[in-house]
Amino acid sequence: MTTADHVDLTGWVEQTRQGIVEGRFPARAFNDQAVFDLEQSRLFSRAWCFLAHESEIPSPGDYVTRYIGNNNIIVARGEDGAIHANLNMCRHRGNVMCKSEMGNSSHFRCSFHGWTYKNSGQLIGVPYMKEGYEGRLKRKDWGLVEVRVDTYEGLIFGTNDPTAPSLDDYLGDFRFYLDLYLKHGEQGCEVHGPPDHWLADTDWKICAENFAGDGYHTPVAHQWGFNLGYFPSSGSTHSQGWAASIPGKGHGIGLGHSPNFPAFGGFPAELVEDIKSALSPEQVEVFAKTRTAVGTVFPNLSFLMQPFSLIPGEPGVRFVTMRLYHPVGPGRMEMYSWCLVPRSASQEYKNAAYRAYTLAFGQAGTFEQDDFENWTKVTRSAESTMVRDVDFPYVMGMDSVRDPEFPGPGHVVTPYVNDTNFRNLWRRWGDYLADEV
Amino acid sequence: MVQTTSGIPRETKSDIEEFLYREALAVDERRFRDWLTFLADDIRYEVPVRVTREANAAWELSPTSRIFDDDRDTLEVRVRRLETDFAWAEQPPSRTRHYVTNVLVDTTDVAGEYLVSSNCFIYRSRGDSPTPSLYSLFRKDTIRRTDDGWELARRWAALDQSLINAHNMSIFI
Repeated sequence: MTTADHVDLTGWVEQTRQGIVEGRFPARAFNDQAVFDLEQSRLFSRAWCFLAHESEIPSPGDYVTRYIGNNNIIVARGEDGAIHANLNMCRHRGNVMCKSEMGNSSHFRCSFHGWTYKNSGQLIGVPYMKEGYEGRLKRKDWGLVEVRVDTYEGLIFGTNDPTAPSLDDYLGDFRFYLDLYLKHGEQGCEVHGPPDHWLADTDWKICAENFAGDGYHTPVAHQWGFNLGYFPSSGSTHSQGWAASIPGKGHGIGLGHSPNFPAFGGFPAELVEDIKSALSPEQVEVFAKTRTAVGTVFPNLSFLMQPFSLIPGEPGVRFVTMRLYHPVGPGRMEMYSWCLVPRSASQEYKNAAYRAYTLAFGQAGTFEQDDFENWTKVTRSAESTMVRDVDFPYVMGMDSVRDPEFPGPGHVVTPYVNDTNFRNLWRRWGDYLADEV
Repeated sequence: MVQTTSGIPRETKSDIEEFLYREALAVDERRFRDWLTFLADDIRYEVPVRVTREANAAWELSPTSRIFDDDRDTLEVRVRRLETDFAWAEQPPSRTRHYVTNVLVDTTDVAGEYLVSSNCFIYRSRGDSPTPSLYSLFRKDTIRRTDDGWELARRWAALDQSLINAHNMSIFI
């Protein structure tokens, strides 16, 4: 075993929580075995973790395999249309049931001794039941280990904590902002296809923070894009916009604004009407003034919506990417990255939005590439012994008061360039690590 | 005239192989502007997303998801990006080596266009990292004879990994 369970982080966690309030966060958090282990046992075992989008399993029997922490989970659409999530492990001797990432099956049969389950997880077949078990095994006691699931606007989440609050309660007022990505018309959104999936020597928290609204990095990390004329904002106006966070929940979103940027710019006109009809007047007002919306659902699910053109200077299309940062070790993660498209849009628009996504934020995306280059370097720095006790500053917007005019919920401050969302994100992370949730 | 088993003149096959090697060399020597001259104006450049599926599944390579989904204009954007001082993913640049093997050439319905399959192994080293990114791919290219020589009209390359062991894909395939 290489786990560091014996390392007592109690003092460090308390010191870190105090630091967050005062505007500091320790480098060590981004690459440390003991911190990783504590996150696995106290955070990913208790939070609502994103599993899949409903459009990935539209028909009875469809399934995908995903993770909650280090647990491989089968997410399946039952024959009755209900969504089931179960640990991908045979209850007999622990073999992996589904070895594929996706497929369709009404039943799962273990390739070791042949125990067979409905895709709901119910055990229905045991070879040599009479001859071998002689009545000592009750099938109903040995179904797959079930995971509690719930959905919001097509997003399927699971939690291993039976005492966790409802998903609606967990998401809280962040649903107001999530709708900006998900309610693109009465029919909502769908995935354009299976996600990009890659491995990176990067800590999941760096991504979660960046997508919680790091408007600050854009002019430098993506400077080439400004150089080639990709952005409607310039260095001098880029700080405009809002940072909205949901106190006590950890969720946060950055809303970038450009002067003179047309309301709903990048959407076809007929889609705009459909979107407006699906949203509240307050949501429409926020949406209309948003160029870039970049947000994180605590802990590790993020969204970005942005207009983007294939060729700099041409009118862009809005694309939405949804990404999940799956931690696989200290400073190491798997990235799942989807493109979401409005279900009611024309195929032509869906394809155009997808191409914009691949050029900008897929694995070969011109913006994605630079982000991961920076993030692997942050991760590498974080493991060096000299930074064991080094903090980073999180003091932007410490004294900001809520923008009284802003129609959306939560703690909403301006400008877009802000650490407020990050302090909120790490406060919630600290609550979980301290086991105070 | 000596022909391959698919009825292609050996000389043609040899010319196409040399074209592929020179194209790979332009990328490996980071002569990206030069590399663009190997590409047809109507090039399609595609790398599908691979998914781990059962043997009897309808597809393993997604019909809709792409890692690269480029045309001439967007490849030009990628090169222009690399020509700025701010393409951090390639600053300092990756050292790449493309190993192109198992080249097979077949005719197509279009005169002068050949379907060229090959295996491609890419070694990519960055900085002082002792662990390179290794990309193993099967390529199905369309290569066209023009009055000015050969050009790449389509590159279709499928990675053998479904979970790709690289923090980004900032190179050309």
